[in-house]
Amino acid sequence: MALLDITAQAGPGARLMALLNNTRFRSVLYQALTLGCVVLLFWYLVSNTIENMSQRDMSAGFDFLGVSAGFGIGFTLIPYREGDTYLRVFIVGIANTLLVAVVAIVLSTLLGLVVGLARLSSNWVIRNVARWYIEILRNTPLLLQIIAWYFGVFTLLPRPRDSVGWLDAVFLNNRGLYIPAPLVGSGFTVALVALLLGIAGAVAWARFARREREQAGRIRPVIAPVLALLVLPPLLAALLAGAPLAWDMPQLRGFNFVGGINIPPSFCALIIALSIYTSCFIGENVRSGVQSVSRGQTEAARALGVPPGRTMRSIILPQALRVIIPPLISQYLNITKNSSLAIAIGFPDLVSVWMNTSLNQSGRAIPIVAMTMGFYCLVSLAVSLAMNRYNRSIQIRER
Amino acid sequence: MANTSSPLADSSGLPPAEIFKPKPARAAPASTLGIQGWIRQNMFSSIPSAVVTLLGLWIVYAFLDAILTWAVGNAVWEASNRRECLDQVGRSGACWPGVAAWIPNLIYGLYPKDQVWRINLAALVLLVWAVPLWLPRVRSKVQIGLSLVLLFPLLASYLFLGGEKGAIWSALIALGFAAFLWALLTTATEMTTGLSFTRFVVGALGATGRSEEASRRIGFAALLVVYAVSLLAVQAMALSFVQTRLWGGLFLTTVISGIGIAVSLPAGIVLALARRSRMPLISLLATAFIELFRSVPLITILFMFNTMLPLFLPVGVEVNQLLRAIVAVCLFAAAYMAEVVRGGLQAIPRGQYEAASAMGLGFWQATGLVIMPQALKIMIPTIVGNFIGLFKDTTLVSIIGLFDLLSMARAVGEDTRWLGLFLEPFFFVTMIYFVACFGMSQYSLNLEQRLSAGERR
Repeated sequence: MALLDITAQAGPGARLMALLNNTRFRSVLYQALTLGCVVLLFWYLVSNTIENMSQRDMSAGFDFLGVSAGFGIGFTLIPYREGDTYLRVFIVGIANTLLVAVVAIVLSTLLGLVVGLARLSSNWVIRNVARWYIEILRNTPLLLQIIAWYFGVFTLLPRPRDSVGWLDAVFLNNRGLYIPAPLVGSGFTVALVALLLGIAGAVAWARFARREREQAGRIRPVIAPVLALLVLPPLLAALLAGAPLAWDMPQLRGFNFVGGINIPPSFCALIIALSIYTSCFIGENVRSGVQSVSRGQTEAARALGVPPGRTMRSIILPQALRVIIPPLISQYLNITKNSSLAIAIGFPDLVSVWMNTSLNQSGRAIPIVAMTMGFYCLVSLAVSLAMNRYNRSIQIRER
Repeated sequence: MANTSSPLADSSGLPPAEIFKPKPARAAPASTLGIQGWIRQNMFSSIPSAVVTLLGLWIVYAFLDAILTWAVGNAVWEASNRRECLDQVGRSGACWPGVAAWIPNLIYGLYPKDQVWRINLAALVLLVWAVPLWLPRVRSKVQIGLSLVLLFPLLASYLFLGGEKGAIWSALIALGFAAFLWALLTTATEMTTGLSFTRFVVGALGATGRSEEASRRIGFAALLVVYAVSLLAVQAMALSFVQTRLWGGLFLTTVISGIGIAVSLPAGIVLALARRSRMPLISLLATAFIELFRSVPLITILFMFNTMLPLFLPVGVEVNQLLRAIVAVCLFAAAYMAEVVRGGLQAIPRGQYEAASAMGLGFWQATGLVIMPQALKIMIPTIVGNFIGLFKDTTLVSIIGLFDLLSMARAVGEDTRWLGLFLEPFFFVTMIYFVACFGMSQYSLNLEQRLSAGERR
């Protein structure tokens, strides 16, 4: 009481001090000040931008999206013609970026798994080869590696006439990689339906076998039936429907190849560089994940007579995956972001066709930058949401 | 044992008891000992292992053989243009004279040749300034380190840029120079007498016995004298102006990544504290900034600043391209560093915060004296990993048209004398990046081990 009296009697200066020392008041004050600064900064930037744009006769609208872009794109996953709109260019860029990301993710995961396990090998030579592979590749810039693969390997390949071929079906030359293209015939839908049914059957069988094992303790064969269910139905359907799938083989005509699918050298270089570079990081993730499982687990499994292969599959890996997967996903995001380096070797990904060519041609800096960043933010947001759900589902449930 | 019979046995007259004598252990089989045993265990423990070993050795041999034959065996060391190289060995060997002729450009870019000493001088200053951090007898390491990170850029920017300097600019440059002089002086006094520079001055003036207040005033006066001297020195310095467009090569790479590193750590700490703040608005703003900059590729940020920064600033204000790139790199690096710092802060147990509050420490005291030092120690490997990433990422500025190390390596092949020379400069530049990054990562491992020595008793 006495204290309150003193504050009440004290002059306005002391009351102000008391207010300033109040945590809640201070918190509100700081936040208001911060908000004020941020709003001021934004107002400053926006007003400058508006003035600059009015001086340079620029516009910030999205109306240009419907206008014909009028430039060609060297490699497109989805159909695109020179007269198509800017919106189409944006979609083509996204498709190309996602294509690079998906292919590089698959390759780098496989390679990274091999490297990570090699790093853990009891064999000294393999361990050290894997170690130096990782040290050399992750300590040099990715951009340098991409450029080295492109200019140092793929553009120095022989001309189409002397190209390197395998089985007369796959050819590699300085115009890229040529592979056979599948030609879809009339009965293809039947085979596709059969494949889908096969997948459904395989999933059902795997679930059944798992339930049997967990609830009744009966061990049913899994791998062979699943493989059979995946392979046999589409194969039988295809044969019955009269082999609807033909291959369009690349053939040398004059100075170049015709037929088949042409994968440009820039795509090959980008994929190889991205996969190899990222495999180093994935390899280290795999290694630390496996090492995070305590040695006691291996020893206990050995004591129970579990063979080494099964120990790895059923005991170590499930526990290691909990540690491996979160950084693995962030590596996948890194691959998606790093695919933007395609611009250095002229592969038409999103940044290259949209943020570079389209921006320079249309001059609509603001909408284009916003759309590009929006795409990458969306991808990363979606992945992190999925990640959080996954993390919740794998957390060790303590009882 | 047999010949040292005890006096007891002698006196009783009995024959000495048969004592069990173990035979010496047999040596381990030769195949498990020494080099042979090691090789057997680690390389040929089973048939698959032996096969893999041989395969691995063959890969290593093929790789080294190819590289060494190209880089050393078949290489040409003296030639005046690429044609001569090709005539001698074709493409089977490296053409090093091209790289040798371009080394000045690879390191300094297009910086005027007669001004290159300024870069060298700055590098020397940096080195001398940093040396005390490794000297065991120097006690003010934290102050020297902070002055290095915060004030060296002031001095270096004038050395690199030169040109007209106004009053404020001169004062700032002099501040950088004074900090350098102070670091030298305090290192010297601490190495010889164990006293910091200001304490040493107080002692030399015979004022040791005076009050704390008085000696602090004397120390402050000594620092003012140092500042005045450096102000005079800076006034006397007149360097010609060098445009940033001429900056390039390793020098530019170091400048960009150096500024990025120096800015990203403090900015990252502030952002991380803001994100963990209990004030919802501040936390929201920090989170939005961090997530935005982390979810987009660096190249889009560089492009954005390249095209948008001129729009954001008042009409007529020109920002050169280097500055745009540096701003982009700093913001990008700060966002990443913030997440690293946040991870470190999360690893500190709640008890530390509570103990600090119980001791009566406020937020800033608790953070600065208790939490941050522990968190930074845990974070060292990740921070260094981030620095390495940043150093590698600066190659991206070559895409927006700056002449960093990578662009310079590509420019060699456009020189008419060395037309098409690509692999050799690339190999050279790769080695520079590798040595720098590998060195940093090994040093961080070493530091981590030394700092955690207390936990391994």
